[in-house]
Amino acid sequence: MRIADKNHSAVEMVQEALNKAEHFSDHYIFTYINTENALKKAKEIDEKIARGEKVGRLAGVPYALKDNFLSPEGETTASAHILEGFTSPVTATAVQKLEDEGAIMIGRTNMDAFAHGSSTENSYYGPTLNAYDTERVAGGSSGGSAVAVALGIVQFATGTDTGGSIRQPASFNGVYGFKPTYGTISRYGVVAMASSTDCIGFFTQTPEDMDLLMSIASGQDRNDLTTLPDYYVNTESKSAKRVGVIKDFDNESVDEEIRDALRQKTEMLEKKGYEIVELEMPALKYALAAYYIIVPAEVASNLSRYDGIRYGLRSEKATDIETIYNDTRNEGFMPENKRRIMIGNFVLSSGFYDAYFLKAAKARTLIVEEYEKAFQKCDYILTPVSPNPAFKLGEKVNDPVAMYLEDVMSVSLNLAGVPGLAIPAGKTREDNLPIGLQIVGPRRSDKNLLAFAKECIDE
Amino acid sequence: MEIKREDILHLAELSDFALDEREAESLKDDLAGIIKYISQLDELDTEGVEPTYQVFEMENVWREDEILPQDATREELLDLTKEAKDNQIKVPKVL
Amino acid sequence: MAEDYSVTGKDGKKYTPTIGIECHVQLRTKTKLFSEVDNDARGKEPNSCVSPVDYALPGMLPRLNGRAIKFAVRAGRAMNCEINPESRFDRKHYFYPDSPKGYQITQFYHPIIGAGYVELSSGRKIRIEHAHMEGDAGKLTHYATYSLVDLNRVDTPLIEIVSMPDIHSAQDAHDYAKELWRLMCYAGVTYGDLYNGNMRFDVNTSVAPEGAEELGTRTEVKNLNSFRSVERAVEYEIKRQIQVLEAGEKVKQETRGWNDATGQTTAQRSKEEAKDYRYMPEPDIPPVHLTEEFIENELKDFPLMPADYREKFRDTIKDDLLEILLDYPTLMKKLGDMDEKHITLMVNLFTSVLLAEEKSAEYLNDLPSAKDLNELAEMNEKKELSSTATKEVFLKLFDPQMKGRGTKNIAKELGLIQENDLGALEQIVDTVLAKPETKKAQEDYRAGEEKVLGFLIGQVMKESHGKANPSAVQQILREKLK
Repeated sequence: MRIADKNHSAVEMVQEALNKAEHFSDHYIFTYINTENALKKAKEIDEKIARGEKVGRLAGVPYALKDNFLSPEGETTASAHILEGFTSPVTATAVQKLEDEGAIMIGRTNMDAFAHGSSTENSYYGPTLNAYDTERVAGGSSGGSAVAVALGIVQFATGTDTGGSIRQPASFNGVYGFKPTYGTISRYGVVAMASSTDCIGFFTQTPEDMDLLMSIASGQDRNDLTTLPDYYVNTESKSAKRVGVIKDFDNESVDEEIRDALRQKTEMLEKKGYEIVELEMPALKYALAAYYIIVPAEVASNLSRYDGIRYGLRSEKATDIETIYNDTRNEGFMPENKRRIMIGNFVLSSGFYDAYFLKAAKARTLIVEEYEKAFQKCDYILTPVSPNPAFKLGEKVNDPVAMYLEDVMSVSLNLAGVPGLAIPAGKTREDNLPIGLQIVGPRRSDKNLLAFAKECIDE
Repeated sequence: MEIKREDILHLAELSDFALDEREAESLKDDLAGIIKYISQLDELDTEGVEPTYQVFEMENVWREDEILPQDATREELLDLTKEAKDNQIKVPKVL
Repeated sequence: MAEDYSVTGKDGKKYTPTIGIECHVQLRTKTKLFSEVDNDARGKEPNSCVSPVDYALPGMLPRLNGRAIKFAVRAGRAMNCEINPESRFDRKHYFYPDSPKGYQITQFYHPIIGAGYVELSSGRKIRIEHAHMEGDAGKLTHYATYSLVDLNRVDTPLIEIVSMPDIHSAQDAHDYAKELWRLMCYAGVTYGDLYNGNMRFDVNTSVAPEGAEELGTRTEVKNLNSFRSVERAVEYEIKRQIQVLEAGEKVKQETRGWNDATGQTTAQRSKEEAKDYRYMPEPDIPPVHLTEEFIENELKDFPLMPADYREKFRDTIKDDLLEILLDYPTLMKKLGDMDEKHITLMVNLFTSVLLAEEKSAEYLNDLPSAKDLNELAEMNEKKELSSTATKEVFLKLFDPQMKGRGTKNIAKELGLIQENDLGALEQIVDTVLAKPETKKAQEDYRAGEEKVLGFLIGQVMKESHGKANPSAVQQILREKLK
């Protein structure tokens, strides 16, 4: 991580980032640019350095903040119309920890509204364009953050991953994207999507930067009862020997070039002396169906608070209390938000709960157990992130199921709560599009997983 | 299972959406497709399997019963609403 | 049923009422169930006890109050209930301005308190189906053209107690409500302030022809906040439903409101189809697992319950008197702490003096020490204090200025201690008998005029400034005038 010091002024670093953001504005990466605050903070850090005072581990480092993190700088809208005008008096724990180390937010990044999507086309502000091909999607839901790092505007960006929202856009744009073990980073102050699978993570250019950010942002938080006791910084290093590959993913539903990339990577690891273990994980076939029951249920519940009464949008049409709810929610949510809320209310409604929600919760148990068994046979698992590289804008946005299939290889990690890192693994021959692979580890193996990621970089 | 128009309207009511005709129609097809997909789970045998609601191995996480300063004041919170009166949130008359 | 609860309708047909009661108890925790703001909003400004969590900002998560869990354990014990080792929270969804999250956090699938029972003063047992924890809702105030929302009450910790339909009369409904109130107060989990809604009752009533297999259609009367209104509402519903049946009509399953002024229930506007709350396990709160050790430790200082006091004082306090005293937990606690032999006198002082005081309410919250009261009783028994003096000193024990001075000192300062020392008394008697103005009376007495003795006793009392014990004086005089 390049931080400000006597030779690199924070103001220059921030100004450079702001200029790049301006230069790439036609990629629709940012929903808000934090110029004034950012330069002010940079100046303060430069003064500290000049006075020879101690500065943080991220002093003067410009970063991009996904639009679903609460902070008083700019409106927090989760790229949704219904949160228009909402400036938070509260700061998310993760944001506070970054700022305490001197990191400087230069802008909020575009996302699928409420993180519902895999292309950032579901944003109220319109889609973000891929870093390598502006006719293609950035991936999602954290599309803006991935592209901001891929184009070198910032050294790192925050993301949230409920079913692949960090790993898939990272792989579509050729950067590192990490979804930690569930409960590693506090969710306090992050707009909730699905509480039992939501994870906070980052986009970086290197595994080393990822490790630094994790050691800063991780840790138990009294404001989030589902945070684990501080384990990340106290992890004993453990070297890996066996790497697993999942047979069930090696079929024509996955793009040939991605499967080639996976083969090359495993061959490289074999040469380095790693044992490659073939895994059969039949329950993963049902992960996506279980995911699209459990997550919409939690989404429908978590989005009940957006009602036009206490904050955010209130429909102009509203005339009485009923219409404040109905019209505000109807106007404020994107079509995909509505689909998920209605599916969620369907699987929870009386008569369907057992057949759908409860059934999915049981399937989830089988998926958790399948990963536990797998990690008795290997230290890490190497899989594709998504079945295909970045697709064309508009190609899937009107076909929800096709869009959901994008997540087929990423959601099982969220259901099991295990960590996954998306790593760059070359480009496609024809279109020169980034290919990503993901390294999956057991719960709480995060620090060692990031160390193993360095092993996977081609010489 | 088949999704009828009244099912969509019922779900819209549970979700508090004032859907117009056109939207209700397109949602009908979308939801039918999604429900068809998630219904694949029927194939999976979950006989005798316990459900998992949280992938978090901890339990009994609670706090002391002590008053503490909060992250936002009443004024900051009420500033967020469209209209406040006498330190309360003003809404059209609720029947 | 052991007893005959049947109610006879106009046409002489007999009907059996069946009643189940749901009771919401507000817990007396310092802070709310999910945030560290003041849980006691009485007399505070609207929305002054509201955190970003209660206001339901995006990204806010519940922070569970451990003491609420402990209170639930105590409440369960008070009702002889199983405490479930595994419990969870769930979300109950509905849109209303008093519910900022759009759902209430409650316990639907795995409540913390299992089956138990409450024993009424009559000895009748009402079974508890279960009891669960949940957060309260906010308050709406309605005006001509608008409503105002105050979120102070949002997520005040509640325990909802669900009874089995074991109640069959308005009287038992009243007694059950009252006994619940007593149990929760004795267990120390609520302030029990009914006027401020600390306990609210929802009453389900149905009637069926006597001997019928199936129960009749039930109605629910919500938000009753006094034992009397519970009793009256049930009485009214039984009458009304019998009339409906006698008119050959069907009772409608509905929620009805209670009007205390008219003493009637009226149907409330409600959606035809029953609400679908879409209960879902709460993913933001880890499960609660209570070990035997935890429960034992929480209950090691568990206080006596009304049933225990009934047992304890069966022979010392008359039943009807005891039932009155049981409405005053602090009094019962004090009686429990006192010497067995003083109970009768204390009960007498509590009922005839303390409860008669206009300040009794505040006195009850700050009773004198058992030591002071025991001392008072002893002085009374030793005749050191006359019965009037005893009452006077008793009241002084409540006087803030007198607090902690000790009963004897207070009695001394007030000069109320009777002179029982025979030697001293004899001297006083002698000085009186030596006075010329008593000579005649002495002669008359010796001549057999009994009544003049009263005059002489009076003189001695006067000489002793009222401190002499009259009966002792009488004895000495009789001796000396033989």
